[in-house]
Amino acid sequence: MEKSIETIWKEGFIKNDALVAPKLNDLYNQKSIDIVEKFKRMYKLNRIGIVAFAIIIIPLSYVTGMIYMGIPMALLFIAVTFVAQKFSNQLDTIDKNTSSYEYLSSFDKWVKDMIAVNSKLSTFLYPYVFLAMVLGFWFIDIDGTILGDRFINGFVSEFPTTSLVNGFPILLLIPFFLVIGILAFFGGKIGKWDINLIYGGILNKLEDLLSDMEELRK
Amino acid sequence: MSSDFYTTQILPYAAIIIKICRAYTDTQEDFEDYYQEVCLQIWRSKDSFKEQSAWSTWIYRLSLNVCLTFLKKKKNNKQNAPSDLLPDEVLVDSRAFADESLNQLYSAIRQLSEIDRGVILLYLEEKSYQEIADIIGTNTNNIGVRITRIKERLKKILSN
Repeated sequence: MEKSIETIWKEGFIKNDALVAPKLNDLYNQKSIDIVEKFKRMYKLNRIGIVAFAIIIIPLSYVTGMIYMGIPMALLFIAVTFVAQKFSNQLDTIDKNTSSYEYLSSFDKWVKDMIAVNSKLSTFLYPYVFLAMVLGFWFIDIDGTILGDRFINGFVSEFPTTSLVNGFPILLLIPFFLVIGILAFFGGKIGKWDINLIYGGILNKLEDLLSDMEELRK
Repeated sequence: MSSDFYTTQILPYAAIIIKICRAYTDTQEDFEDYYQEVCLQIWRSKDSFKEQSAWSTWIYRLSLNVCLTFLKKKKNNKQNAPSDLLPDEVLVDSRAFADESLNQLYSAIRQLSEIDRGVILLYLEEKSYQEIADIIGTNTNNIGVRITRIKERLKKILSN
């Protein structure tokens, strides 16, 4: 009697060793390239985004009357892009003609250097952003009066006994410098968190792959 | 890919991947490439597995998608390379199974359309119509009719 296709299928796989998985020869190599290329694409996209933002923010801040925020922010974004571009150039010099492990180790070192520099820069970056925002809001012109002056006048009339330093109420200067100090103190951590938010997934994969390869090398 | 991940999450389901990859490839070399690519995709996409289906069902779906994408790429490459324009039937499958009936069945399956290959593989793996419909992305009513048609086609090819 002729066998049904169901029977052929079932019996066929029981009888032979057809289901032996092939060796994954080049997998680590493929994965290494995959991770680095993916990171490069994301890093490039990030740089393009920052440049685009630097270009947009000037007319945008002009329209909203916050040009004192727009210009320093644009300068900051240009500086960040410049640093990122320098790192990107370094990334391109990583030798691809080495083993997967060496290639990934070099990439890992590059990532660590990049994170370290970014963390250091973040110590200044976040207070700078805060300062730019304060400046932006401060110099908004409302019916010929500067918003900051209005605010100070309102504050002084509300708290007439407050001490002034160079015309600024000390009760405002203290929280202002406190925020600057906190941002400077936690800037590095915020920077790392920021990087992790964007590249966390890929960096975890890199870590997994490297530890796996190290284990295999033992 | 962690070797641990491969051993615990992929290797127990290697049979699924092998069966699917074999239906979409003509040579051992292609088969190994497809198998490797499926493993790589599983590793890449493992975070997107939401446990809405069984891990095995997800592997079926992913394996089929990878094979279909690879096949599409291969076809495009063939179009760009006139010297490779050999009809599929001429290609010799270098991977014979010990069971001759199974070889014939696989050869017949490879003559089906790409989607029909997926449907029949899932049917032979005793997946429910609902699961097949979910994996292929169609409705359950179509699956029953389609399987009957594919089985008839396979019988016809095998009897020839």
